[in-house]
Amino acid sequence: MIGRIGAIVRADFLIRFRRLSTVVVFLLLSGFAYVWVPSPATGRTLMQVNGARVLYNSAAIGMATAMLASVFVGLFGFYVISNAVRRDIDSRCGYVIASTNVRTVEYIVGKFLGNVVFLSTFMGGYMGASMCMLLVRGEARLQPLIFMKQYAVLVPSAIVFVSVVAIVFESIPFLAGRFGDVAYFFLYALSLGLVVNMMMHGGAVARYVDFSGFGYLMEQTQRNLHTQSLSIGSSPFDVSKPVLVIDGFNLSGGAWATRLVSTLSPIPLLLIAVPFFHRFDPARLRAAGAKGKRGWMRNINALARPLVRPLAAIPVRGAALKDAMMTFASTPFTAFALIGITIAAVANPASLPIAIAIVAIFIADVASRDRRAGTTGLIYAAPRLRERFVTWKLSSAAIVALLLLIAPLLHTAIAQRGRLLPLLIGILFIAAAATSLGVISGNPKTFIVLFLTFWYVVVNDKGATKALDFAGFFSTPAMGVMLMYVGITVVMIAMAEMVHRMRLRD
Amino acid sequence: MLVLEGVSKKFRGGNYGVRDVSLSIGSGVIGLLGPNGAGKTTLMQMIATITRPTAGAIRFQGIDVARDPDAIRRKLGYLPQDFGVYDNLTAVEFLSYFAALKGIHSRARVGEMLEMVNLHNVARRPIGGFSGGMKQRLGIAQALINDPDLVIVDEPTAGLDPEERVRFRNVLADAGLGKLVILSTHIVSDVESVATHIAIMNGGSIVACATPEELMRGAEGSVWEMVVPSERFDELRRTARVSSAVRKSDGVHVRIVSGEEPRGGASAAEPTLEDAFLHTMSTRAAA
Repeated sequence: MIGRIGAIVRADFLIRFRRLSTVVVFLLLSGFAYVWVPSPATGRTLMQVNGARVLYNSAAIGMATAMLASVFVGLFGFYVISNAVRRDIDSRCGYVIASTNVRTVEYIVGKFLGNVVFLSTFMGGYMGASMCMLLVRGEARLQPLIFMKQYAVLVPSAIVFVSVVAIVFESIPFLAGRFGDVAYFFLYALSLGLVVNMMMHGGAVARYVDFSGFGYLMEQTQRNLHTQSLSIGSSPFDVSKPVLVIDGFNLSGGAWATRLVSTLSPIPLLLIAVPFFHRFDPARLRAAGAKGKRGWMRNINALARPLVRPLAAIPVRGAALKDAMMTFASTPFTAFALIGITIAAVANPASLPIAIAIVAIFIADVASRDRRAGTTGLIYAAPRLRERFVTWKLSSAAIVALLLLIAPLLHTAIAQRGRLLPLLIGILFIAAAATSLGVISGNPKTFIVLFLTFWYVVVNDKGATKALDFAGFFSTPAMGVMLMYVGITVVMIAMAEMVHRMRLRD
Repeated sequence: MLVLEGVSKKFRGGNYGVRDVSLSIGSGVIGLLGPNGAGKTTLMQMIATITRPTAGAIRFQGIDVARDPDAIRRKLGYLPQDFGVYDNLTAVEFLSYFAALKGIHSRARVGEMLEMVNLHNVARRPIGGFSGGMKQRLGIAQALINDPDLVIVDEPTAGLDPEERVRFRNVLADAGLGKLVILSTHIVSDVESVATHIAIMNGGSIVACATPEELMRGAEGSVWEMVVPSERFDELRRTARVSSAVRKSDGVHVRIVSGEEPRGGASAAEPTLEDAFLHTMSTRAAA
């Protein structure tokens, strides 16, 4: 049993770490440490409490980078690892696995541990890079054990939680696709806020499900520094306030036990995966619609099909329009989205941010669906599409977005004419982001997670940071902000074009 | 001995993948022939314990596959259709992985299998760079690594070039000695040189199961050869069951499978397995 689980873990590790994209992300993440630990001489700091910057010692840099690591794992880790079962389905190696003595429990535990090992390795590299930053920018000597202790308190619970949820989601048919990707984002964002809020108001149970460790950090800050004003990540500080020296977490036996429980408590959730796991049975895979024809979604699509039929049947010329119509024809559910967005635009114009998020989800796979369906060769055989692939997909995504947002656009044009231009720029920006990330990564997940994270920050910022308001949600942005998003759009498309051309050369 | 008794697989929605199949097979290489959609893959997946029959029973060496799948899995080697690989692993890592899943921890056995399929020289190379034939040979190596009593290979030669197909057939013939090998294909030439028995499937059912000689004997008197002008060939193809046609300077040389002698100067011919397959399909369809 242990041999079989070990083999699964080892194979998963090798498969993942030999991918170029993994190595790039690994190096990027380690490189982020450089960005996240700014020199205090620049007026910015990694961590500030009530405006006062903390002294860069092992405890402070360890604690702050560990917290960032935990959020990274919680938010992005899921999308990086939630393809372990899918890979076995796509390669058909799963059929061979199903014909061996590997038990379902062994397979699920193996995949779970594979996720844990993979994320732990990532975090190990990131921690090493953060330690190096202490040597570069530190204001006290490196104390490795104290540094590692901060990670031990905060990060394992996030790793275990994400590793469990990824396997559970992959095992449950309706959570195994794009719906699960979106659902996870909101689940994580919601649980993060909920747990911290409960802990701040004395909710003892929340301590045991504090998977991000953020609640514990806030609780400790409140207890030791008597404030909830804490900022982690490169941010400005008040130079007039004295530098704060923190010692890091000093955990009692009880506190260690609490953190241990919150680390181990998601593991029983693996039991949910067992009855749902299809064990590569083609009948169950077909029934579950493992290739995107989920039963309930199929029913909704069947209901919506008559609504999109006229739209899909419009005799359009031009490859971009045809591809845009393909989105409607292949996902008739978009008809309901169009109706919902239209009603919301009339009833409550403030619903625009939600409409934008919905549109983003629908255009996420426009640039990568051909690659995933294996039809790229057919596409490239068509005149000019090979060379103009990026422009074609950008146009297609923009057309879908414009059609879905027709009511908000009309409403803005009539009622708030000044915001029409930023809204159009915002739509172009998300179409470019979806295209660029879709072309570069080859899957829609990258865009979904990055855009939803950005969107979440923008919506919660409520217009306080003018530069974040990419589509004029809260006010008419300054010309400089609009130009910035136009610039980002151009850069993203240029990057996608560059990657595409490099691939064509290969 | 593999025994199938009234085995059916009914999918949600009411369609049958396999319907009431009964079969008894000893040892040797069994060719499972049939057109696409005949139910070959579903039948093999049921025998390989990947999916359960909705009716009937499958027994191997007296063990009920549905009741005790683990018992048969210990004795099973399976190579699925369109078998993919993990591109980033080397051949030796890939094979070691499946060996470990099957409870085999001997490195020597991995090396032995790589040598058997002639991949020992590229054992440390990533599989992503392998040709289709090399990947299939690696696939058969993983299927045989636990020295199984029952080997199931599903459409193993699809997509391979002629040379690789011959090489794969030879590997399979050598490896299958003393075992029960079920080889599914819709290409008759894949099985005619290696199969000791042939089962023909159509529409989810077994329509014939016999030795190649018996099948060919059954088609005797129903195979005809004739030369037709090119302009008549299209009409002939529409009205008769043509098993092969070769264009030559004097016209099209055709082989026809028919119970009656075709008009236009046909002469009786010795049936090939391809003719026998077409004959079986046509007579069963008529029945």
